[in-house]
Amino acid sequence: MVEFKKIVEVGRVVMITYGPDAGKLAVIVDIIDHARALIDGPTTNVARQAMSFKRLNITSMKVANLPRGASSPVVAKRVVDQKVVENFANTSFAKKLAARQARATLNDFDRFKLMIAKKQRRNIINREFAKLKKQN
Amino acid sequence: MAHSPRNSFLKPGIARKSRSKTYGLHALYKKNKAAIAAAKPEGPKTITKTVGGAKNGNTRVIPAVKAPRYYPAEDAPVPKANRKTVGTTTLRKSITPGTVLILLAGRFRGKRVVFLKQLSSGLLLVTGPYKVNGVPLRRVNQAYVVATSTKIELPAVAENIDDAFFQKKAEKKDAERVAAQKDVDDKILAVVKQTPLLKAYLNATFTLTKGQTVHNMKF
Amino acid sequence: MLHEYQVVGRKLPSEKDANPRLFRMRLFAPNPVIAKSRFWYFLKKVNKVKKMSGEIVNVSEIFEKKNQVKTYGIWLRYDSRSGTHNMYKEYRQLSRTDAVTNCYQDMAARHRVRFGSVQIIRVAEVKSADVRRPYVKQLIQNDLSFPIPHRITVKESKKNNSTFVAKRPSTF
Repeated sequence: MVEFKKIVEVGRVVMITYGPDAGKLAVIVDIIDHARALIDGPTTNVARQAMSFKRLNITSMKVANLPRGASSPVVAKRVVDQKVVENFANTSFAKKLAARQARATLNDFDRFKLMIAKKQRRNIINREFAKLKKQN
Repeated sequence: MAHSPRNSFLKPGIARKSRSKTYGLHALYKKNKAAIAAAKPEGPKTITKTVGGAKNGNTRVIPAVKAPRYYPAEDAPVPKANRKTVGTTTLRKSITPGTVLILLAGRFRGKRVVFLKQLSSGLLLVTGPYKVNGVPLRRVNQAYVVATSTKIELPAVAENIDDAFFQKKAEKKDAERVAAQKDVDDKILAVVKQTPLLKAYLNATFTLTKGQTVHNMKF
Repeated sequence: MLHEYQVVGRKLPSEKDANPRLFRMRLFAPNPVIAKSRFWYFLKKVNKVKKMSGEIVNVSEIFEKKNQVKTYGIWLRYDSRSGTHNMYKEYRQLSRTDAVTNCYQDMAARHRVRFGSVQIIRVAEVKSADVRRPYVKQLIQNDLSFPIPHRITVKESKKNNSTFVAKRPSTF
């Protein structure tokens, strides 16, 4: 049986993927039922509200020591103390999002420069690979 | 004798040949255009004539053009004067002198070119530069162009070039054009060389690759 | 979406009774018009006051904060095709109105009962210890956690969502 790492539970950090708050982080404060949770993001401009799991992306992060149904100030304190937003930026998921964002903001000239850089990288790698191949 | 239609329909409403293609087939450009005659200066409206007979007062004023003997029973409809005027083309905000453009249609489609200035006809004056990607001094409609956010510091070039420069004439103006192109190329290239990779960028053609959608891209 | 209204009404004052008794009722209705209608419906059943001979004194909406998830117990009575039944149901929601709205939807789904034939008798918050329904019981346990093993990622806006796509969505 595969161990699930991203679990719905109180304190789980989620990213909203749909609607006006899309792209923001929030925390699961309470679970309403199998389809919805009460989320809150006092430090990330997300109002305390019920939201369907369909609109939530469950991240690998969790806010520790968060009692079920904790009030907004408590959530804010835990999120700030545990540096949730800062730590999230280091996750591979956040890096992927950032890279996607960076890629989308490139202009035509930047895309061309990127293409050249990739070519150069490929060239170096292939050369080294050929060298190693020759040795063996 | 009338010939059969040159154009046919692929599906009702969709012609096999485009509008510009049929224009070419019509060969209307070969026809001699009749020059519009200049308006004649208007003469006097009345003439004074000498008349015989002592009691007639020697002279008489009569209209220069005799009034017609026949009048239509009803007023003939007079077509309304056309009050439309040809407007001036407004340049897109994103296009300023020095902007790198991507040509979308014609022989040089996909080429990246430098915008020099807007001509009085509203068309854009662009060049490759010719030395870099083979696009000469050329006029394009701004509708067939994607404006990028890349700009170069354009030196003073092509100030004498206007629409007349591109007109077809009997005597060849090759020498003049070559000289103008060389002048423009040299000045622009001096600037282009200052930015690394810019020359190679202008030399490369624009293509869309897998997963790229134009409306989601920044230029 | 339903709202909760407090409707106050009385019999019109007469020579016999200059100060008629006031009746207050808390009702769930989509708008104040229907709330008033339901008020007369119930009042004429319980007391000898009709709309014809009475008046509405006040209608005001009752608002509540939606800060915490609560378990609501709802006692209701409904007319089915064959008879009248009493029922007790439990819902997990953020507010009374949410719970009652959910209840009406649930009744319509399970028993094909329309709004008009359901009478909400009582709505109350239920303590965890007093929860009766097993479906709710499993949601109020202390260390509740579960994975979402089968999910389709939602795009940021409907604009970017295609109705027909060549590939099946990946669900993990």
